[in-house]
Amino acid sequence: MALRNRLRRAVLVGALLALAGTGCSATANKTDTGTKAPLVIGASISLTGDFADPGKAVKAGYELWANTVNAKGGLLGRQVQLKIVDDTSSPDQVLTNYQNLINKDKVDLVVGPFSSLLTIPASQVAKRYGYAFLEPAGGGPKVFEQKLDNLFFVQPAPVVKQGDVFADWVLSLPAASRPKTAAYTELDDPFATPIAENIRTRFEAAGIRTVYKQVYPAETQDYSPIMAKVAAAKPDVLVGGTQSEDAYGQVKSLVQLKFSPPLLFLSNGANSPVEFPDKVGAANTQGIMSSGDWFPGSTAPGSAEFATAYVKAYGGTVDGIDNTSAEAYAVGQVLEAVAKKTGKLDNATIIATLHQGSWPTLLGDLSWDATGAPSGSFHLVQWQGGKLVPGFPVATAAGHTPVFPKPAWGG
Amino acid sequence: MHALIQGVLLGVLTGGVYALMASGQTLIFGIMKVINLAQGAMVILAAYLAYQLFVSFGVDPFLAIPVTTALMFALGVGVQVAFLRPLRREDKVELSLLVTFAVALLIEGGMSVTWKTTHRSINTGYANDSWTLFGYQITVVRFWAFVLSLAALGVLVLLLHRTRFGRAVRATVQNPDAALLLGVDAQRVSALGFGLGAATAAAAGSIYGLLYPFNSGSHYDLISRLLSIVVLGGMGSIGGAVVAAVIVSTSSAVVASTVSPAWSEMTFFVILILVLLIRPQGLFGTVGRGAI
Repeated sequence: MALRNRLRRAVLVGALLALAGTGCSATANKTDTGTKAPLVIGASISLTGDFADPGKAVKAGYELWANTVNAKGGLLGRQVQLKIVDDTSSPDQVLTNYQNLINKDKVDLVVGPFSSLLTIPASQVAKRYGYAFLEPAGGGPKVFEQKLDNLFFVQPAPVVKQGDVFADWVLSLPAASRPKTAAYTELDDPFATPIAENIRTRFEAAGIRTVYKQVYPAETQDYSPIMAKVAAAKPDVLVGGTQSEDAYGQVKSLVQLKFSPPLLFLSNGANSPVEFPDKVGAANTQGIMSSGDWFPGSTAPGSAEFATAYVKAYGGTVDGIDNTSAEAYAVGQVLEAVAKKTGKLDNATIIATLHQGSWPTLLGDLSWDATGAPSGSFHLVQWQGGKLVPGFPVATAAGHTPVFPKPAWGG
Repeated sequence: MHALIQGVLLGVLTGGVYALMASGQTLIFGIMKVINLAQGAMVILAAYLAYQLFVSFGVDPFLAIPVTTALMFALGVGVQVAFLRPLRREDKVELSLLVTFAVALLIEGGMSVTWKTTHRSINTGYANDSWTLFGYQITVVRFWAFVLSLAALGVLVLLLHRTRFGRAVRATVQNPDAALLLGVDAQRVSALGFGLGAATAAAAGSIYGLLYPFNSGSHYDLISRLLSIVVLGGMGSIGGAVVAAVIVSTSSAVVASTVSPAWSEMTFFVILILVLLIRPQGLFGTVGRGAI
């Protein structure tokens, strides 16, 4: 009984504190006073739970940027200090974390967590307190449906438009060398199906006939039945709306069935520089296409500096760098650019400034619409000689051109 | 027609692997009336062990089986002695569900910490090889996985029918009280039986890791399949588990290749419900006395 009373009291006190917290700080939106106190940037990141691995990549990107900028004397003369808390991949925890960062820790700025799932509740907290919300990893349609003016998705394009660059490239080919028939295999997932469907709509409008389409559930383990049907339909191009494991599964089944489509585009999974060759066999990657926002050897602003600093800080090779880290690093670059342009770094300035113009980052030049959706495009990337190289648009392809038709498996 | 036959081939070959996993599950149930919810987690743990042996020492997953089997046997015996044996209450059958689920979560947590949550797969040089036979593709890995599963099942059956220990196990399954009266050490049989169940999980785990990518959470999917196979075949019947495993994987592969992959899981549960409506004890289950 005593325990229950104590619990009840604790809950009551907690609730009161939370209320007091919200009341006090709704107006406590900090402004940059120009003192040389450190600039504290708060972020909730999944260090445990389902998103632990990509979460750690986000953390690595943020920390790398903070160290780089601090080595140059900080932002507006203030050292950047990160306050990172773990949200255990839970949407409830992420909410609490941003409430605490803003109300209790009174951080100057906040930046986003990993995944759309966590970005949505987090961005609403930020909106409530007038904080700008730059986020590297929440690009699903529901993020932009919130129509928040303080949110900026720091990638070249929303998730569903990741594959559009492949359609851009195919439709840029002379009519004679374009594919005539296409097959689509799509994971039943809001981050995969729409990518392939966007491509299909554009291909069909351009007269590329659909010979097979299959949406498969996430629990699919064997891709042989699906790929056997693709092989029977003999399409000129196979578009896979894939995430990761299903991309590897599709390729493995195609190899086993000895069917190599002349053009093969996989929305995700195939753009993973280390895992993809490891999972499907390096020899089988030749000619496979995907899209990406950052790739080793990119000439975008700050890219080389990022790659060098990354390898120096975390070891490994440039080819092993996770894009997620590059995206988190870009968040910092954007803040840096705002500071440079306006000489200020308060939330109101960031929100007002970023809705105009284009902002150079290692992911290319970024710009946003009113809902925070970026209006650029990804790069088409292709496996050539065991490496992932850019192929389109020409301006950023560093002299590479896409190779097609894709050779037979193993060559 | 081509898709149908390709589906049957795939289903039968995969069925062998599931048969191996389910045989351990059904054996444990037969001996102790314990529904081992940790069987899936043990399969995945064995898959990780095989993965680690392959990555660190280049040991082929097929050759790693004796090592992983021995380790998992020891783990199985340990789990039985440490967690299941102390349950002495009337409702120990129900309690064992909670205990084995806790063991599953413990294993899952351990795996997440050790190997993180990214999917792993064992990619041997022959992982993507296949033979073409009358226009049908038979993948090398799947074929050998099937052969090895049959061999492991054969060893298990020999062990149960040709050894003194096997006789003690079967006696315990048929009538625990009579077995006890005749001097069978029930505690020992239970511990070794649980170890044996874990050992089949180990063999199946090596093969599972070759066929599919896995992470620490994969055991949830696996255990729901295994339980369904065991129920379909008849709780405690190894023959039933084998037949049910083949039915399950063949029906899902055939539906995936002829109708749609979206319906393949569903088909299997429809079969399960139909069988249970007609034969509540499962295909090969017995009412009352147990039999293996």
